[in-house]
Amino acid sequence: MKTDTKKAAVPREPWFAARRELSAKRAAVLTVFSFSLPLLIWCAVSYLPFLWHPDVELKISADREGVTTVYTPGDRVSEEFFPQFEEAVREQNRQVEPLMSLLKPVEAGSEASIRRANKKVLRHLASLLVENGWLTEEQTKDDAAIFAAWKEIATGARLPERPRLSHENLEIIRRNWAAMSAYSDVYDSDNFVSRPLLSLIPQGRPANPDYLPAPHEVLISGYKEFSKPAEAERPSMWQRVGHSMRIVFGGFLLAALVGVPIGVICGTYSFFSKLIEPFTDFFRYMPAPTFSTLLVVVFLANDAPKMALVFIGTIFQLVLVVANTTRRLDLPLLEAAQTLGANQLQLLTKVVIPGILPNLYNDLRILLGWAWTWLVIAELVGVKSGLTEFIETQGRWRNFDSVYPVIILIGLIGFFTDQILSFLRGIFFPWTSDGAAAASNPLAKGLLFVPRFFKGAANERLPYHPDSTSPKQA
Amino acid sequence: MIAIQEPDPLQYLVQRPDVSERFAALKKRPVVLSVQHLYKEFECQTGAVTALKDVSFDVYRREFMCVIGPSGCGKSTLIRILAGLESSSDGQVLLDGNPVTGPGPDRGMVFQSYTLFPWLTVKQNVMFGPRMSGQRGTSAESEARQWIDLVGLSKFENSYPHHLSGGMKQRVAIARALANRPRILLMDEPFGALDAQTRSQMQSYLLQIWRNLDLTILFITHDLDEAAFLADRILVLKANPGEVNEIIEVPVPRPRTPSQFITPEFVATKYHIDQLIHPNHGGSEDTLPFPRMTPQGDDVE
Ligand SMILES: Nc1ncnc2c1ncn2[C@@H]1O[C@H](COP(=O)(O)OP(=O)(O)O)[C@@H](O)[C@H]1O
Ligand SMILES: [Mg+2]
Repeated sequence: MKTDTKKAAVPREPWFAARRELSAKRAAVLTVFSFSLPLLIWCAVSYLPFLWHPDVELKISADREGVTTVYTPGDRVSEEFFPQFEEAVREQNRQVEPLMSLLKPVEAGSEASIRRANKKVLRHLASLLVENGWLTEEQTKDDAAIFAAWKEIATGARLPERPRLSHENLEIIRRNWAAMSAYSDVYDSDNFVSRPLLSLIPQGRPANPDYLPAPHEVLISGYKEFSKPAEAERPSMWQRVGHSMRIVFGGFLLAALVGVPIGVICGTYSFFSKLIEPFTDFFRYMPAPTFSTLLVVVFLANDAPKMALVFIGTIFQLVLVVANTTRRLDLPLLEAAQTLGANQLQLLTKVVIPGILPNLYNDLRILLGWAWTWLVIAELVGVKSGLTEFIETQGRWRNFDSVYPVIILIGLIGFFTDQILSFLRGIFFPWTSDGAAAASNPLAKGLLFVPRFFKGAANERLPYHPDSTSPKQA
Repeated sequence: MIAIQEPDPLQYLVQRPDVSERFAALKKRPVVLSVQHLYKEFECQTGAVTALKDVSFDVYRREFMCVIGPSGCGKSTLIRILAGLESSSDGQVLLDGNPVTGPGPDRGMVFQSYTLFPWLTVKQNVMFGPRMSGQRGTSAESEARQWIDLVGLSKFENSYPHHLSGGMKQRVAIARALANRPRILLMDEPFGALDAQTRSQMQSYLLQIWRNLDLTILFITHDLDEAAFLADRILVLKANPGEVNEIIEVPVPRPRTPSQFITPEFVATKYHIDQLIHPNHGGSEDTLPFPRMTPQGDDVE
């Protein structure tokens, strides 16, 4: 008999099945994508010059006569404007050319001002030279060194690579050098060319607007900002982080301290529920920031009004959420406890509170995330402080590469606090069935060795699982 | 299951001498629970609903009484009033002669839904009642162990409830109720959510426990077999409003075994209860107006 040698195709699990769990491996892969895709998009937009890049970042700039707006290297101008800018400088050069070649005499007495203008032209190359490593940051005003560099370029001894100079500019450099060297071969401030020089034509490279810095720029600025030590009037970045966290956690803890007992009481007794919840429900619709001026009057300066804002922004929500969670406790559990002889107080302390604890913990975790969202507004109350003050000032100076690391850090702190808390839930509450779910979270897994160790110890106390049919429990 | 001809409708009243002697002895015992002219009305949007109407009966010490009735007839309402979890509209409930006003540890209760405290281990669950009454320390613990032993779960005393099967959970619930040494154990369809096999196992367990302890049980069920197998007497309730239909003395001798399911007493008792609960059963067989959708000749019956 002929046997069918074709292997039976193992049916693959579908990727898209409504309300079905994906395998752990697939879930992990998608989690990685969830973070790497946005990063990839950011990198692509930043590093692929043909994506977006609506601006030109100037590498060489020039002043225009009679125009007050001055661009310096590093500035960005729009793609549309850049050609006009180039053309304006060329036009300016056309006017200068006759004077330069002595076809027209310069006005008497204007030599000093021409010399001053020429020194500016000399420095047009400075930042380019720094970028090419010919000069250090400190040498940007060292005219002698710049002068020497002009000579090197003009004679072709050495040419800058980043960026390469356009032929047009090389020609201008040679002509300018010819004029300059006619006076002196080395830089002499008193014996500097007093015939007008040609301006360098602006050069640049495609760039994104300054509000979207590239990832590496953000990393570098972030590293710089976070490694700066504290100064007299300027706290270090880590001090700012600490300050911000103190406000959020302080306000939140106060809200929890006051709100949890109220919520539990409301959830347990209809009396308190009907007495307290309607007003709470109304109050939470008044945005907390509207109270900020009032808070400053009541709590004066410093951190108190800021924490109070987080407190007000959190507590009303918290009371309602906790009350609801308390109400969700299985009523038969309370009835069973009563038939076992529990009195009112015992019902509250021995049944309601332990019974809602895992859900309460989860609520507080989510509400802590909620409290985080008040951070920026809270730190604007009264005297600006913490991370927000930094973001505000740097943002105003358009130093967005310094702003992003801070914004990202705030996100990371919130995110990891939440992940850690969510993971710890399984350890604090071993009787809940989602203890296992927390432990399988890949992020928490990688991050937390120590809690997992305790978790293992906790599991050992449960040697037998009669209901579990899956072997993965072993 | 029962393929014999219709029994004599009054045969359930015939008791063997030893059985009638047992009932005579039973009725000489003190009354533990006395329910007198109990009424219960619920206020609904549609108006008042009478759930219980003039329900009266007595339960004697060490009696096993079952309450049976169609769904919605007020069985749960009755047992919740007895437990003190619900108030009656009229009438009273006496426990050892004292009126019942609220829930208390003298009446243990086992619910149909699982009501073990999920944050406590099996042992801590069983110790809950004694703890509430102020008992502490090792004596409470060793006593709890005894109750856990009694329901055969000593291996699981440190497990959390979510690791237990349904049958195990109900056994712990029984142990937890017993640890308070209640005067009466109230059980509201405690095995209703279990599969047939586990349920019959639990019935045997329960009879063993009942036989060996000074324990009075009021057991609610909607399962005829369960009632006839477990009970000394069966209280049959009518629906709408819930009224006492009849209190039946089960003529099946004790000790009970599953082999008695086919004895004439058992069959007669079941037949009679069935007649009480479903009066027009058999007369107008419920047939659905369903057209034939298979070809002629392709018959399964
Ligand atoms: N809390 C309640 N409010 C209004 N009606 C109720 C309430 N509890 C029970 N009932 C009504 O009382 C009747 C008896 O209910 P129940 O005792 O649960 O019946 P059983 O347990 O016999 O199935 C039902 O008609 C039910 O609708
Ligand atoms: Mg019921």
